[in-house]
Amino acid sequence: MSRPLRSSGRFASLALAWAVAGAAAAEEPPQKRPLEFTATEWLERMDQALTTRNYDGTFSHWQGGRVEMLRIIHRVQDGTVSERLASLDGSGREFIRTGASLACYLPDRRTVLVEQRPAEESLVSFPTVNDQTATFYDIREVGHMRLNRRDTHVIAVSPKDEYRYGYRLWVDESTAMPLKSQLVDAHGQVIEQIVFASLTLSSRIPDTAFRPEISTEGFRWLHNDAAPHPQPGAAAPAWSVTSLPPGFRMTVRSAQVLPGSAGAVDHLVFTDGFASVSVFVERQPAPSGQPPVPESATVGSSSAFSTVVDGHKITAVGEVPPATVRFIAGQLKAQGAAPAGR
Amino acid sequence: MNEELDSQLSAMFDDELPPAECELLARRLSRDEYLKARWGRYAIVGAVIRAERGVRLNAPLAGRVNAVLLAEPALAAPTAPRDRRQARVRWWQPLAGAAVAAGVATVSILWLRTQAPLNGAPLAARVPAHTSVPVGATSGQGDSYVVPRPKAAAVVVPSTELANYVVAHSVFSNPVARRNLLSAFMTSEAPAAGAEEPQSDVKAVAK
Repeated sequence: MSRPLRSSGRFASLALAWAVAGAAAAEEPPQKRPLEFTATEWLERMDQALTTRNYDGTFSHWQGGRVEMLRIIHRVQDGTVSERLASLDGSGREFIRTGASLACYLPDRRTVLVEQRPAEESLVSFPTVNDQTATFYDIREVGHMRLNRRDTHVIAVSPKDEYRYGYRLWVDESTAMPLKSQLVDAHGQVIEQIVFASLTLSSRIPDTAFRPEISTEGFRWLHNDAAPHPQPGAAAPAWSVTSLPPGFRMTVRSAQVLPGSAGAVDHLVFTDGFASVSVFVERQPAPSGQPPVPESATVGSSSAFSTVVDGHKITAVGEVPPATVRFIAGQLKAQGAAPAGR
Repeated sequence: MNEELDSQLSAMFDDELPPAECELLARRLSRDEYLKARWGRYAIVGAVIRAERGVRLNAPLAGRVNAVLLAEPALAAPTAPRDRRQARVRWWQPLAGAAVAAGVATVSILWLRTQAPLNGAPLAARVPAHTSVPVGATSGQGDSYVVPRPKAAAVVVPSTELANYVVAHSVFSNPVARRNLLSAFMTSEAPAAGAEEPQSDVKAVAK
């Protein structure tokens, strides 16, 4: 895959940029003094910062022995969320969200996926911790340290079982932005890490920042034909689960058309408050005579598991250990049928 | 690699390099793979010295690092500020070379500085994700090193189908998890040239 190199000289400048432009957008005085915030409050402040601030940053992403640089630009303007995430290294892939439109540019496949989502659907926030969540995670501040000249509060969200991962978050004291985050397993081992190399908080980010850098000439564009229709709590579900890992519950059920997909796909979302798992159910083409073989995949530290039940392909995807997606996918059943098994 | 550059890198890592020099060095870092790898090694060794959780070297390498640290009086005894940069150069120089890099699986660049925001700056230049120079190879710049490539089976190329699922799922992830997920997706390895898109991006599981 080749991609034009446009601005090598600006990398250094960008990488050196820690800027706070616009006092109102960046350094709002907290109601409490920083040392008075609890770990849970730091998570809530971080959530608010990530979802409501305008920022432009580059960060390193480490996982499985690989480290790559990415750039993220996030803007909330007139209630509309725009976000762009781009790989600065190998693949050149970009993900751009502008309001209800999600576009995924895959230059290595010469493909663009475009999905329209309901306009009222905003990106999910880091949930407020409640008593139930605290049953499955231990949440505490484990340190207060300087990270590259910034004061940070280190918040640990530790899972109490092996159905979920945990986090360690270095939250900037001034802005509540996570300057560093680690995904850890139940034994505390780091399996994924993100560290910001530069971060700029701005009061204004121009529309041009949300245009893809790559040329899409000759690319295949795959659109979904219809917007999804979330039906939380809808009656008469076609698919349900017989049991779930402790703490998980279904929060969303929708039928949607994915880009390039012929028919509607049932989309069920399960969450324990921090971690979430999506289950997609779509009709499987006519069987080939071979018994279906369950399959698994990883995307970074996230897991996917796919199996076939009653002529339908069931795929579970989530930022949880492989055993969890396998468990959930195995518990799905059509109404009146036995679960798929594990 | 000359000693002056080493010294500048060391000072930059410790936040003691004057801003003007820092920017110049950062520019060079952005285009010099060799320098970048050395910077990454600073980060890793620094993390080990600080005993950060989750950062580990393999046992033989960790032993060599410890031996170097114990044997280096510049680390054992407090040094006057004037001597610190020189002392750093002395202690980490023995770490240079294949012995250190062979056990280090990551190269990272991380630093933060204060500077005015850039308005509408285009994306930064892409830099190769991995640097690999054979042990003993002469680059004309001094020490050689090896940064191991990732394990081939660690990442699965997402198919269009999985890409759809990942994007659809990302909307329901918490912000940190979503960033992790999308970042991993953005950086998953591209298929080899000429390779056909797999029917499925999922690997068969041994039953």
